[in-house]
Amino acid sequence: MNVTKLRWTVLTASFLILTFGGLIGIYLGDFLPTFACAFVGGEKVGGICFLYPMQAALESAKWQEYKSILVTFFFFSLLIIVFGRVWCGWICPLGFIQDFLDLIRRKLHIDYIRFPQKLREGLKSIKWIFLFIALLIPLWVAFPFFAPDVARDMRMPFCSLCPARYILPMVSGDYLRVGIDFKSATSITMSALGIIFSALTIFGALLKRRFFCSYCPMVLFISFYKKIGFVRLKKNIQKCTRCEICYNVCPMEIEDVFKEREKEDVTFADCIMCLKCVESCPEDDALQATFLGKTIFRSTWTGFFKGTLNR
Amino acid sequence: MDATKYHKNYQQLSPDIKQESTRQKRKEHFARGVARSVETVLAGLEGNPDLPKGLNYFINVMRDVFINSPGPNFLEAGADSRKIVGTYCMMIPEELIYAAGAIPVRLSGGSYEASCIGDELVPRDTCPVVKASIGFISLNFPSVYERCDVVIVPTTCDSKRKMGEELSKFKDVWMIEVPHIKETEGSRTRWLEQIYALKENLEKYTGRKIRRKNLDVSIKMIGQVWYQARRFYELRRLSPSVIFGQEAALVLNAYSYDTASSWTEALAELNNELAELCKKGCFIGNNDTPRILLAGSPSVFPNWKIPSLIEEMGAMIATEESCLGDRYFYDPVGTTEQTMKDMMAGLGSRYLMPCICPSFAPNEDRLYRLLQIAEDFEIDGIIYHVLKGCIIYDFELIRVEKIMKERGIAVLRIETDYNPEDVEQIRTRVEAFIEVLKVKKKKRGE
Repeated sequence: MNVTKLRWTVLTASFLILTFGGLIGIYLGDFLPTFACAFVGGEKVGGICFLYPMQAALESAKWQEYKSILVTFFFFSLLIIVFGRVWCGWICPLGFIQDFLDLIRRKLHIDYIRFPQKLREGLKSIKWIFLFIALLIPLWVAFPFFAPDVARDMRMPFCSLCPARYILPMVSGDYLRVGIDFKSATSITMSALGIIFSALTIFGALLKRRFFCSYCPMVLFISFYKKIGFVRLKKNIQKCTRCEICYNVCPMEIEDVFKEREKEDVTFADCIMCLKCVESCPEDDALQATFLGKTIFRSTWTGFFKGTLNR
Repeated sequence: MDATKYHKNYQQLSPDIKQESTRQKRKEHFARGVARSVETVLAGLEGNPDLPKGLNYFINVMRDVFINSPGPNFLEAGADSRKIVGTYCMMIPEELIYAAGAIPVRLSGGSYEASCIGDELVPRDTCPVVKASIGFISLNFPSVYERCDVVIVPTTCDSKRKMGEELSKFKDVWMIEVPHIKETEGSRTRWLEQIYALKENLEKYTGRKIRRKNLDVSIKMIGQVWYQARRFYELRRLSPSVIFGQEAALVLNAYSYDTASSWTEALAELNNELAELCKKGCFIGNNDTPRILLAGSPSVFPNWKIPSLIEEMGAMIATEESCLGDRYFYDPVGTTEQTMKDMMAGLGSRYLMPCICPSFAPNEDRLYRLLQIAEDFEIDGIIYHVLKGCIIYDFELIRVEKIMKERGIAVLRIETDYNPEDVEQIRTRVEAFIEVLKVKKKKRGE
């Protein structure tokens, strides 16, 4: 089995477990650094994204909750340190949906879109905005020192904007949660924005590989731990011929991997550890994925030709 | 699109060859000269009593092209009605040419006779590769030149760039602009635009649309070329070697004038034969034979001056890094999707980014590559070939010498052209260099 197939297997299995696991009694906890959405419903969900309890705790304004979220945060951090970006490329259910849409695009032989570098740089701020929404607005909800009416309807602000909150319940068969919340002007705005983002994500993922991941606050969160993570991507600078294949196959369009000429560590902020670059690299050992310094997957020229000649 | 300039076919303006009869005589004289020097090289190769059987195919390809012209080779016999497109340098995606239903031939000139013809058509300080290329085109000989109506010239070094203009007196010339700074996004996008323009031009020229499926098929077919070439590379990494460097160079040079499919088939056979030889332990030379990296300007067939000299003196050319040797074949095309855009992007990347032609600047990539080659092949010394007028290779020698010194690898610079008269002078220098390497190697072995 090659890495692509292995990744698809793991990704599909984790999608099923995280979205339907509850039905067979699986529940992994509410500290997962991945978009396993609580909104698919308590009876079905197999694990919950950390941003959900985090926002809920911040909104509560209770000391008790703040202390318990610190414990959750500890487990959340631990999971990131051990698995790092594997959460994005191998586990995330929204990632599965996007990869599935990408598969449809490939089968239909539709070209993908690539944004120019300048635009990509500009759009980078979006994930920071999402992260601040998830961190700061709940505090405003907890301590509504101005516009308390608006604040009250801003509960779970990031969730109302998050495409996973609409897409995952929908694919799990729960259409009732996909709609505009008409309670107030604030809730209408937030849920309408959320639905727009969801629609954008679906169409985006059909035309651009891993469309939403470039704006995902969780990818950003995980990148904060890059100095201490166990899973790394490493490059042998002398062996690299800078043939640009790793950039062409990268769903996150990371150029720095082939451009890097100084550091051995090429685990860049947006990396989702899908290992496509390692698989498609035609040089022996030029790229390696390591776990605690031990190589778990390396590039080989024979592996490259096996992959491309039988594609 | 205007990215690829299209030059009209001028009348043949060359003053010396105005008259048909003189032209014909001259051509015959030229043909005899080329045949003589090609035969010398090929006979020299055939002189090896342990010549691998698989090598005969490649020798015959060269014989068909240069001596029996038009010989029984497919390109000459006209059995293949596909159009022939000539290319220079190593940046032209041949996958596109095959997908358009034509055949690419790589036309770099290596003949001394042709360079003498070219002498009259270009400035004195032009490099012999360009002189010979123009010489061949101006006389339309061998007949493979006659059969190609279009040549594609990338703007690499100064000489090649201006050569494009001069060639337009004899053939249709498509110029392709190669960005000399590869890294920036702007230059890569611009390059990709050129590849798309080339695709359109090819479609117009052959009248066959390049569809997604054609391109996919030809990428896979050429993929076999990269695969077999890589196997060949890996087999030659063994020390001591299983095949002489000049024989390997002939195999790679023969690709220029052969179709991809038949060349690949022949190389696959040769690879199997060499793998067998490895298993049996039939190696050439011993552990003390110095392993040479022939770097710098290309030794284009039949200019076998330096390669044969090195191996006559008892060293082994482990590899040759030039654009007619391993550099052209080393990097494969990597596409994972069968969408047009992904395939075109893959081609664009393959033919620009890993290319370490010294016409690029900055060209640090070449230094890294040379270090890797030295490691891969356990190189003892580098013979740095500089063709007179090839200033860019000479420039990079400064850096190459520096990094190789740090690793204790000796570098010998040899400046020459196609003229055989300085062979004895070079022989003395090469001999001394190799003797030093031999002594060094023996000491290390003890």
